[in-house]
Amino acid sequence: MAASFASRCSRVGRSLMDGLRNNFSNLPSSSRETTCGSFLYQQQRTFIQMRTVLKVVDNSGAKKVMCIQPLKGKKGARLGDTIIASVKEAMPNGKVKKGKVVYGVVVRAAMQRGRCDGSEVKFDDNAVVLVDKQGQPIGTRVFGPVPHELRQKKHVKILTLAEHIA
Amino acid sequence: MWATLRSRYLHLSATSLSSSSLTNGSWKLGFSGLNQTFSSSTAQRISNELLSLQEVEKVLSDVRADDVSVVPVGNQCDCADFMVIATGRSPWHVKNIAQALIYKVKQKQKGAKRMVLPSVQGQETGKWIVIDSGRVIVHALDEKARAYYNLENIWTSKTAQKEPVEDLTKAFVKVRRINNSKKPAQGSD
Repeated sequence: MAASFASRCSRVGRSLMDGLRNNFSNLPSSSRETTCGSFLYQQQRTFIQMRTVLKVVDNSGAKKVMCIQPLKGKKGARLGDTIIASVKEAMPNGKVKKGKVVYGVVVRAAMQRGRCDGSEVKFDDNAVVLVDKQGQPIGTRVFGPVPHELRQKKHVKILTLAEHIA
Repeated sequence: MWATLRSRYLHLSATSLSSSSLTNGSWKLGFSGLNQTFSSSTAQRISNELLSLQEVEKVLSDVRADDVSVVPVGNQCDCADFMVIATGRSPWHVKNIAQALIYKVKQKQKGAKRMVLPSVQGQETGKWIVIDSGRVIVHALDEKARAYYNLENIWTSKTAQKEPVEDLTKAFVKVRRINNSKKPAQGSD
């Protein structure tokens, strides 16, 4: 009964975090005081590491990739980092096929990333845009929102192809 | 008349609030308003220091870049004001366009203590080079990349595409479920 209560609370907590969420807008003092009580409601999200399955949000042909190596980062990749991934699921006629090893840039991550003004950004899913070794995007359009952080990380090309910049 | 006197006083002494005989609330409002306009004008001044639209156009015409198109994206995207797309005839030409723009920025900032250079992405391959200088973003592509990515299509039609997505009035309309079973719907007799 306690376990079901905890799972229900975590579901409620997760549904509240749909899309983009800024901690800045919430009361800052209360969030720090209630951390010991709110750990039941919120999942601890972590880095993108080996075996993480990510969604592909461009029109390169792939649907799901599995991370095989995060470049840069001992613990894993975060929002805006590049990873090496293997294509696990692909559309039948696309530029990349299943089983191909590709590079990708993480554009949405469930783990929160701090911004310079103190707010944090987190998304509901882990999404990646496939690029080639030189950083050129393989697809021509990027779907869904992408955060500003890509500009600092020198991924302006992905920002220009995006349909919505968060 | 009170407003002009107050604003002139604020302009002269921006930080000293000690000798104010007027009401504190209205004083703070006026001060914050002036502060906001001041900060936005400084931001514009800082961004114009890197590269302005006229300079970019001049450099591109000097380098003889083909098919220069300027897209104003100020209303769609808060990161940039203008997007300039230019085509190069060969990878070397594309790299040359990028080099010419950076040279222009260096010339502008000659003699300054610390130079702020625009960030360049894609310099090794001559296929697509992006020069990000604050409010103006310049894309130098070759013809194949330009046809492949079709950047004008995204940015000129973005404002037209955005409106149907944000149609929240239709999102909350309740739709009745289609009853394919033989039993009548619950609640109806």
